[in-house]
Amino acid sequence: MSRLQSSINTASADFRRNEAHNRRLVAEFRAKQEAARHSRPQRDLDRLARQQKMPQRKRIEMLLDPGTPFLELSSLAANMAYGGESPSASSIVGIGMISGREVMIRADDPSVKGGAWYPLTVKKIVRALDIAMENRLPVVHLCDSAGGFLQLQSELFPDRYMGGRIFRNQSLLSKAGVKQLALVFGHCTAGGAYIPGLSDYSVIVRGTGAVFLGGPPLVKAATGEDVTVEELGGAEMHTSVSGTCDYPADSEEHAIEIGREIVAQWGRLPRWEAQREAPEEPFYDPAEIYGIVPDDIKKAFDMREIIARIVDGSRFHEYQPAYGTTLVCGFANIWGYKVGILANNGVLFNDSSLKGAHFIELCNQNDTPLVFLQNITGYMVGREYERRGITKDGAKMIMAQSCSRVPKFTVMCNGSFGAGNYGMCGRAFDGRFLFSWPNHQIGVMGGDQAANTLAEVKANQMKRNGGAVDQSEIERLWEETRKAYQEQLSAYYATSELWDDGIIDPVDTRNALGVAISASLNAPLGPPGYGVFRF
Amino acid sequence: MVLKLDLDGTVHHVTILARRPHLVLSVDGRRHVVECLDEAGDGSRRLTVDGESIAFARAGSADGAIIRLGGRSFVLHRRDAAEEASAAGGGANVVRAPMPGTVVVVHKRIGDRVQRGETVVTIESMKLQMKLDAPRDGEIAEITAREGEGFDKDAVLARLAAPAEG
Amino acid sequence: MMTAPDDNPPFRKVLIANRGEIACRVIRTLREMGIASVAIHHPVEARARHVREADEAVEISGETPVAAHLDITQIVDAARAVGADAIHPGYGFLSENARFARAVAESGLTFIGPDAETIALMGDKISARQFAADHGVPVAPSVMPTEDLAEFTRRATQIGFPLLIKAAAGGGGKGMSIVRSAAELEGAARHAASEAQRYFGDGRVYAELFVERPRHIEVQVFGDGKGGAIHLFERECSVQRRFQKIIEEAPAANLPAGLRDEICASAARLAAAANYRNAGTVEYILGADGRFFFLEMNTRLQVEHPVTEMITGLDLVRLQVEIAAGRDLPFTQDAVTADGHAIECRICAEDPERDFLPETGTILHLDAPQAAYLRFENALDRGQRVTADFDPMLAKLVAHGPDRASATRRAIAALHDLALLGVKTNIDYLARVLAHPSFAAGELHTGFVAQHKVMLAAREPDVATRDMVLIAAALGLRDFRDLILGVPEPHASIGPWRN
Repeated sequence: MSRLQSSINTASADFRRNEAHNRRLVAEFRAKQEAARHSRPQRDLDRLARQQKMPQRKRIEMLLDPGTPFLELSSLAANMAYGGESPSASSIVGIGMISGREVMIRADDPSVKGGAWYPLTVKKIVRALDIAMENRLPVVHLCDSAGGFLQLQSELFPDRYMGGRIFRNQSLLSKAGVKQLALVFGHCTAGGAYIPGLSDYSVIVRGTGAVFLGGPPLVKAATGEDVTVEELGGAEMHTSVSGTCDYPADSEEHAIEIGREIVAQWGRLPRWEAQREAPEEPFYDPAEIYGIVPDDIKKAFDMREIIARIVDGSRFHEYQPAYGTTLVCGFANIWGYKVGILANNGVLFNDSSLKGAHFIELCNQNDTPLVFLQNITGYMVGREYERRGITKDGAKMIMAQSCSRVPKFTVMCNGSFGAGNYGMCGRAFDGRFLFSWPNHQIGVMGGDQAANTLAEVKANQMKRNGGAVDQSEIERLWEETRKAYQEQLSAYYATSELWDDGIIDPVDTRNALGVAISASLNAPLGPPGYGVFRF
Repeated sequence: MVLKLDLDGTVHHVTILARRPHLVLSVDGRRHVVECLDEAGDGSRRLTVDGESIAFARAGSADGAIIRLGGRSFVLHRRDAAEEASAAGGGANVVRAPMPGTVVVVHKRIGDRVQRGETVVTIESMKLQMKLDAPRDGEIAEITAREGEGFDKDAVLARLAAPAEG
Repeated sequence: MMTAPDDNPPFRKVLIANRGEIACRVIRTLREMGIASVAIHHPVEARARHVREADEAVEISGETPVAAHLDITQIVDAARAVGADAIHPGYGFLSENARFARAVAESGLTFIGPDAETIALMGDKISARQFAADHGVPVAPSVMPTEDLAEFTRRATQIGFPLLIKAAAGGGGKGMSIVRSAAELEGAARHAASEAQRYFGDGRVYAELFVERPRHIEVQVFGDGKGGAIHLFERECSVQRRFQKIIEEAPAANLPAGLRDEICASAARLAAAANYRNAGTVEYILGADGRFFFLEMNTRLQVEHPVTEMITGLDLVRLQVEIAAGRDLPFTQDAVTADGHAIECRICAEDPERDFLPETGTILHLDAPQAAYLRFENALDRGQRVTADFDPMLAKLVAHGPDRASATRRAIAALHDLALLGVKTNIDYLARVLAHPSFAAGELHTGFVAQHKVMLAAREPDVATRDMVLIAAALGLRDFRDLILGVPEPHASIGPWRN
């Protein structure tokens, strides 16, 4: 496989301007992430210290095999919700290695409102368990939660993908033979009690761990019974009387040690053997991505320059290099794993759509996972393109992509607008993982286009009604629309709403994909086959 | 995950920083590149740490290892969390006989406040008198030692009250 | 020492009434001589090295293993039952038991050692001392126990100073004092007498010349039992702990040639006078002033005999066997020469940091260096339990060199390379003693270990060494190895990345 030849001039003014811009964006992302992870009211930190509880992240670090990666997912979930009251949606989710086994780690965050679940917390947990199901990843729950955040119960309790989905997913995971372990460090109240209850294994810490459907205040209110936490659902009771938990632990560290031992007992399930070679660092420095991605979303750039900074040895075997050139397709290796990459170099035309559909079929035939690098403004519009069947050609690409049996991974590298999002495996298409860069924007269309479109519609409306066009009113509408769009288009809004699996620093793309691809290999490939392609 | 090894009463922490291209270990926070990793089993072997190759011998025991390196032998015990927890709670609450013997003097009574290092019991073993001290500050909850009576190794001679919850 | 089996071995079969390294040592020579060997063992040591290495083995019983090895009747019966011609007693156990020597002789077998009478003579301190004095071997001047303080003072003054004064009846240091001048004598005597009366109801006091910084020098002798005796030079055994030797060497360090000759000659003279037969050792106390005094005579092979073998090139066990068979001394005194220097280190299961208290354990690993100039006398096996049943001495490491410094260096290097893991030993301590400047200077005396206690204590290893030790230990733990090797790709390559 030949090495891509980069034509980037790292000394150019463009490069330096882009670099400054993107480094600022990444610094902003890191600052938000740091705050979400560690910035907590002092009284909450004091309370945890009093209870001799380790910070949840420290527990995770102790649980992980030393010297191995941890891919944290959705670190900025809920960053634009609830007035910032629920950093990381009050939970930590990620993929790591415990006792040599790849596992999904899901942890409550007792430093935020006692670990209460907000609606987006529930969404994040459900997503974590969906990932576990799709990839057959065992789950380790670190339980320390007061239960649902009651003030927002209507948004987290009743619907299909709300609270109950957690326990439904837990049950189905167990049915599918995917193991779950609950480490109970704090309270598991109400619904939360089912997490250890539905886990295959559970460990509970003496003194601080407790599991009950209703805590002592609720019991008192309901039945008048006076009961202590320890009597009601402590480690001693659950491991010797009720059998709700399996192992009592003398300390948090002890619980972690028992947990690691339990995971070490789990059989290593056969993984799907993807084509793999010895990994090789990219020839070109991934940090140069900062100088390649433009400082303005409207400026075009060659996605091959990005590929060269993600894949092994910067080697890329390009498919149909001269046909449908707005969609770059080709084979490469990421951390050794052979992948098929689809990357946007402009709007999708008929030929690029057909090329993409064909390339996806090749990868499915060849059992090659797909990586989509999105920077898409959509499929081409206009009379000529409609006449050539841009819609049915785009539909072919969507059909091929939707029905793929190989794992799919999407990285939102810049813009994701319109139906291009669909063809390029947007969130709705059940890619195994979807990551965004901080500069990413997503929407049906760009802010300017939306404002233009609405302004156009408004002006036409005014004309139809016989009146003159009120230019100031149009301008006000344009400005308002653009502003509203701009906020909701941002990567932070998308990640806040869990439209992705997290924002990542562009230089981390290779590692994130490496961990993600490895995780995906735990699940066997589905049956081959497609629906009806419209020719 | 950190491996805790007790060497002459001091606990040291060993963990893995990286596996590729070389194994990199951290020992109490100090970084060491370990270039060769011999096969399993016991016996004489070589180890390359930070480019320096050294011969050593090792014998494994159930809870640790004995290492001979640089012309000296070292006995290491691994500490697990359960042990540490009992040392912090249960273990440290008792005055335990280090060897069989007889009780000479019981210095404290139930309810007495003691400070760490204060003598609780004096015993005689192998014609040697030995003072057994309080392992931490606390209050004597129980004394099982009776002057003139014998006891076995590891017998609990006195117990401190559990620390107050806080 | 390797020679072809004798054409006409003096015995057909010899039973070794011992165990451990000395039994193995004796078996080795017997095999070289073409003599069949018989081991004895208590049931607990049925798989021991000496049992495996001997041509035959007989089980002996006893409440404790040591009791079995002290059971004269059983052992003599065993020897007769297997048709042995002779019994070699080794050292320790029954080796200096006159009753045993007599029982062996009376059963028609040969005891490889002196006759019972000599053993009895030398086994009694008073008679041995008297015998030595009678034959011109210097003994430490002393004042015999008396209650007459005036007489005591008069006689004590004749001896000179310093003097050690103590209660004749007692022990435990009651009334004991060291008197360095005549002026102190009377007061010290009175005090000792009153203390003696008070504690023991016996006011008699005793005094002897106090030897400061005494050295322990001993001479290896062989007698033919007919008044002929030779010496095989001296050994120095001054480095001791708990009154037991831990390092022995031959020849003694810094011993003036004249004094050496005098000491060795007096030992041979004593042996000749006693019509001594077989191997024996005459022990002396040597003062800093060059005065030496008879201490005792050991009527057996010594633990430290290899240092003499290494400098003389002789096989002392072979000599023992030949003499026991009635043969003459194979050479005269003039033919005995010494070459170079040899040092023996006694490897003991003990904790030098805890006053050399015996340790127990299981031998998990044993790897001893090998060289033509080294002897590692042992009967150790991997997996062997080291219990309190027997003496804590596990093995002897003996190094020879052209001179004392090189022998010391070789011994240190050998200790360095000796891996005996599973029970705490004094190996590292011995290396520290050998490396001590005062040892190198030959400034030895029986208080050496106490005098240099601080400098001989184990020092904290430097951080780099300690880290290596921790790494070596960690890599040996199975689950830590699993942790290193059990992480699949790409995680192992990606390493500790966080996003």
